[in-house]
Amino acid sequence: MPSNPETTVKREFFRYGLAIGLVFLALLASLALQGSIGNPFWFFFSAAVILSTWLGGTGPGWLAVFCSALAVTYYFTPPLRSFAVAPSEFPYFVTFIACEVGVNQLISWRRRTEDSLRQARDELEVRVTERTAELKNANDALVRQMAEQKRTEDTLQTTRAELARAARITTIGELTASIAHEVNQPLAAVVANADACVAWLSRETPDLFEARSAAERATQGATRASEVIARIRSLITKATPGKSHVHINQIIEQTILIAESQAARNHVTIALNLVPDLPVVLGDSIQLQQVILNLVMNGIEAMTSVTDRPKLLTLRSAREDKEQIRVSVQDSGIGLNEEVMSRLFEPFFTTRMQGMGMGLSISRSIIEAHGGRLWGESNGSGGATFQFTLPGGDR
Amino acid sequence: MKEQEPVVFVIDDDRMIRDGLQSLIRSVGLRVETFPSAQEFLSMKRPDVPACLILDVRMPGLSGLDLQLKLRDGGIPIPIIFITGHGDIPMSVRAMKEGAHEFLTKPVRGQDLLDAVQKAIVSDRALRQERQEIGEIRGRFESLTPREIEVLNLVVAGLLNKQIADQLGMSELTVKTHRAHVMEKTQADSLAQLVRMAERLKASARK
Repeated sequence: MPSNPETTVKREFFRYGLAIGLVFLALLASLALQGSIGNPFWFFFSAAVILSTWLGGTGPGWLAVFCSALAVTYYFTPPLRSFAVAPSEFPYFVTFIACEVGVNQLISWRRRTEDSLRQARDELEVRVTERTAELKNANDALVRQMAEQKRTEDTLQTTRAELARAARITTIGELTASIAHEVNQPLAAVVANADACVAWLSRETPDLFEARSAAERATQGATRASEVIARIRSLITKATPGKSHVHINQIIEQTILIAESQAARNHVTIALNLVPDLPVVLGDSIQLQQVILNLVMNGIEAMTSVTDRPKLLTLRSAREDKEQIRVSVQDSGIGLNEEVMSRLFEPFFTTRMQGMGMGLSISRSIIEAHGGRLWGESNGSGGATFQFTLPGGDR
Repeated sequence: MKEQEPVVFVIDDDRMIRDGLQSLIRSVGLRVETFPSAQEFLSMKRPDVPACLILDVRMPGLSGLDLQLKLRDGGIPIPIIFITGHGDIPMSVRAMKEGAHEFLTKPVRGQDLLDAVQKAIVSDRALRQERQEIGEIRGRFESLTPREIEVLNLVVAGLLNKQIADQLGMSELTVKTHRAHVMEKTQADSLAQLVRMAERLKASARK
């Protein structure tokens, strides 16, 4: 226990003073009661030693023993009023001193034990408090960590979804670039050879041999271009991923979740009219989702300029016949004119500024790969409806 | 001197395009040599005639742009017509900066290519002529003695004989003699022609 020197000195003074005071009191009591109850100094001095040791510690205990010995020598052992001790009283006196010393030692020992016990208990208490705090900290950290992990997992989930989408877009981009190069190369050969053919024929004396071989090379180039395209087509057909049993209503609902914000931004209301208990479809859920998303986005897009009627997009699922289901997406947009109608599914045909014109063309390929049909028609009341059929998978 | 027959080099890794371009260029009566790669072109001994190079940008191995730099660093001046399937702007800017003659995108229209080839050959012919003349002038100037070169430099700078004599610490008569030698050796008919030749040499050295 830290304390400044002044208070330490004061306390020491008090402890030793207390010992002297107690012995003095014991002496007074002994002298006062000497006549009436024999020789009570044993009891009083022992009490003084016990109290001094108990309250003051070993040092003051020793002082009390010493003072008691002096007092007993002086007042109670013959010859009285003298510090000498008669030889006959010697054993008695020694016994007294030994007793006092014993008491002092015993009490000191008790005190020390108790002190160390108290100290141990205090330390234990401190340690328990510390441990409790540590445990609490650890617990808090754990809770924080768990929250963070949850957040990370959420982020991961979002990122993964974004990544999948980005990967799909990148693949399309890379595929397009690669297709462009693969097709452009033979086309360049066709143009060069056709130009050469014309040049040979336009000479003053046409060189038919050269013209013929150039024309043949042009044909070869064109054949190669069509081979490239056939290869790509077979690649796409083969690449149709593993199909599984899917519920079309679930896919529609999932797709709407993705399209909702886009619809809200454009003030479009989406209505669902789904027939329950439709047969499951054997298909690739991602691809089907892509098709529906594409039709929904087209519908939203078609209604951007509409102001005179509600912007309503209705998705329906229904049983077409015993073996097929039908999904339709109806908008109240600008509709389809004849020219657009006839080119709707042509690759790279688009009515939009930043459209690539691949959406409907890809969608139709997907649906056809699933054994269904995809078509679009104008509504009588304005807007257009796109629908597709799919064979039920539980036959 | 007989007019040398020009030659067009075609480098493209696609055989069908190579053959088509070759046939097209031959049809207008030009000599054509084709190569499937830049390396093969580099390893061939090229004839010393007016020429131009039709080069596909995207090729396996040494790309068209790499070859352009190699030719430039090797001091082989030949006009290059680039053909690319994906003519992105940074690439064409780079090629033009390095002195490409023309940049065409695939598929190239036959007439565009032939026009570019004709222009490139005309330009190469002029450049070759220029180089040859410069070479001749340099040869003549190299026969001058150090003293004559000193006199030449001051004459070209527009100093009079007397001033030159003062500056070089010689008699006016000596200056006149040196000057006559300079005119004789460089085959200059007049002072004006001498100055022009000196300027051309300087300009070619700067390039």
